[in-house]
Amino acid sequence: MFSVFFLPSKKGSRAARVGWALWACLLVALIAYGAFGRQLFILSTLGTVFLYVVLTQAWNLLGGYGGYLNFGMVTFFGIGAYTTAILHHHYGLSAFLTAPVAGIVAATAGLLIGIPTLRLRGAYFALVTMIITFAVQILALDLEITQGALGIYMPRLPLTPLGVERLFYFLFLGFAVLVTALVYAIQHSNIGWALVAIREDEDAAEIVGVKTVEVKWAANALACFIAGVVGGLYAQRIAYVEPIGTFAFDTSLNVVLMAVIGGPGTWQGPLIGAPLVLLVADALRVTFTSEVNRVIFSVVVIVIALYIPGGVMGVLQRWRRRQSAAPAPPSRTP
Amino acid sequence: MLQQIPTIVVDGILLGLIYAILGLGLSLVLGIMGIVNVAHSAFIMLGSFFAFELFRRMGVDPIVAFFLSFPVFFVLGALVYRLLVTRVERAPQTQGLVAMFGLMVLIENLGTIAWTTDTRVITAPYTNASLVVGNVTLVHVKLIAGLLALLLIAGFWALLRFTLVGKAIRAMGQNRVAATTIGVNVARLSAIMFGLGIACAGAAGVALAMIFPFSPNTQVQWLAWAFLVVILGGLGNVANTLVAGLVVGLIQTFCTAFMPFDYVYLVLYVLLAVILVVRREGLSHAVRRAI
Repeated sequence: MFSVFFLPSKKGSRAARVGWALWACLLVALIAYGAFGRQLFILSTLGTVFLYVVLTQAWNLLGGYGGYLNFGMVTFFGIGAYTTAILHHHYGLSAFLTAPVAGIVAATAGLLIGIPTLRLRGAYFALVTMIITFAVQILALDLEITQGALGIYMPRLPLTPLGVERLFYFLFLGFAVLVTALVYAIQHSNIGWALVAIREDEDAAEIVGVKTVEVKWAANALACFIAGVVGGLYAQRIAYVEPIGTFAFDTSLNVVLMAVIGGPGTWQGPLIGAPLVLLVADALRVTFTSEVNRVIFSVVVIVIALYIPGGVMGVLQRWRRRQSAAPAPPSRTP
Repeated sequence: MLQQIPTIVVDGILLGLIYAILGLGLSLVLGIMGIVNVAHSAFIMLGSFFAFELFRRMGVDPIVAFFLSFPVFFVLGALVYRLLVTRVERAPQTQGLVAMFGLMVLIENLGTIAWTTDTRVITAPYTNASLVVGNVTLVHVKLIAGLLALLLIAGFWALLRFTLVGKAIRAMGQNRVAATTIGVNVARLSAIMFGLGIACAGAAGVALAMIFPFSPNTQVQWLAWAFLVVILGGLGNVANTLVAGLVVGLIQTFCTAFMPFDYVYLVLYVLLAVILVVRREGLSHAVRRAI
């Protein structure tokens, strides 16, 4: 279809090195907490944060770099969860073995939705992904293999609750690091630039030889694959899947929120957005209902879309550019 | 089964008229202004609750609410345009989509706070009455809602065809720059157009509330219906939207007659995918402009 190669990037400035050091420190601290921390609540919350980091990074590929928004990320996540649950229920296969299969099934679903909609420019992909969740949810409710509203139970792992949370903490942390590295690599490859070109001006991208449709399909399939794998693992984590909770619109909404707030189209964006949204949401949940919570976040999203398009990363980048531009005196010539 | 077919056809046509006004506002706003109004269905939901509140608190008949909803939602739409849409109209498409998506979530959750997620119905005095003509059963509410929808469609058609504002709107849809050159106030007209689109959504919500149960958090499925009508009928054309609505309505009533209700959704989604594949040339250029 197309070849992938990496483009050399200019070696980092001091600020970039400081940034790398900070990320490395954070990773070490998280690993240390995973190994020694004993608070079940914190381990489980952070595990969920990592899960969302993975989902948001996956969304970021096509949504952030390519500008094609997926408003139904939960569809592919849920398809992954159901795949491992069904494979376990009928064939007794462990979710850890079948997670890649879940990814492949989700990627196939992504292609089925992407092939008709991503040929088109504009918002068709966004609209279809937004409304397709309902169709898939109805399928899960009505098909025999998914056991309808009853859902599918999976056996709990032979570990203490703390052990289970610790296992998934490390699993999701590892996966988040892996996917972030992948997104970083893609950002610095020709595919990443092709996606950015599609976002900025699709006609021009096509004229200079970018296979726009194929690039969009590939990015979407990869994103759905990642969502499917993490969905499959999630099914084992909660040990129960049912149509309403597994295909909850909230998950899709959270992913968009995290990407938009963190900064779409940057590999750091999801790393900032996911914890920010989730931890603030958890803190608010104590005082408000989830509706008030969502009202607050939707207002934040509107404000960001209107006034701060790049999210947190956009603000940081602008600030850094101003910092580096500041020493040079402005030219006096008109 | 065969005796039922006339009833199914009439039902389908009446439903189709309502689906046509569900899609009409979306189609006009998308076709003429190039704005993908993801929040369209949220305004439909607000329309339903507008009728519900008027009925519950003041006993206002839904038919009256239908006519009241139009000016109210027109003003609401124009306000949303001024506050929100003008700021993202010239921005990249994703930014506008995100803003409208945020608006949808905002309205849905404000609705949930105000009315909870309970499913509501409006029981007007004539809700359960029906008229039997030969072997066709006409349910009064469906008949009334269908006729109101037809009236609205006719009104829009006449507005766009015969009035100066309508001609200016169509000119803006064809070529924004040229319209500006010949003295059309594009900014004001866009506000009017967006207001009309939202007014249409509000009125459609009232018509829906007469027939279907509704709740704040199930509104996205109406977006699916509206979107289907838009894709089938093309953008910014009243007559084609009417035909598309009728087709969707007939498909739905025939499917519900012959298979379990839930599968109607699946049939429609498959139809959606097929149309997107078949009609792609017709759709591609229209949405390229703005949001």
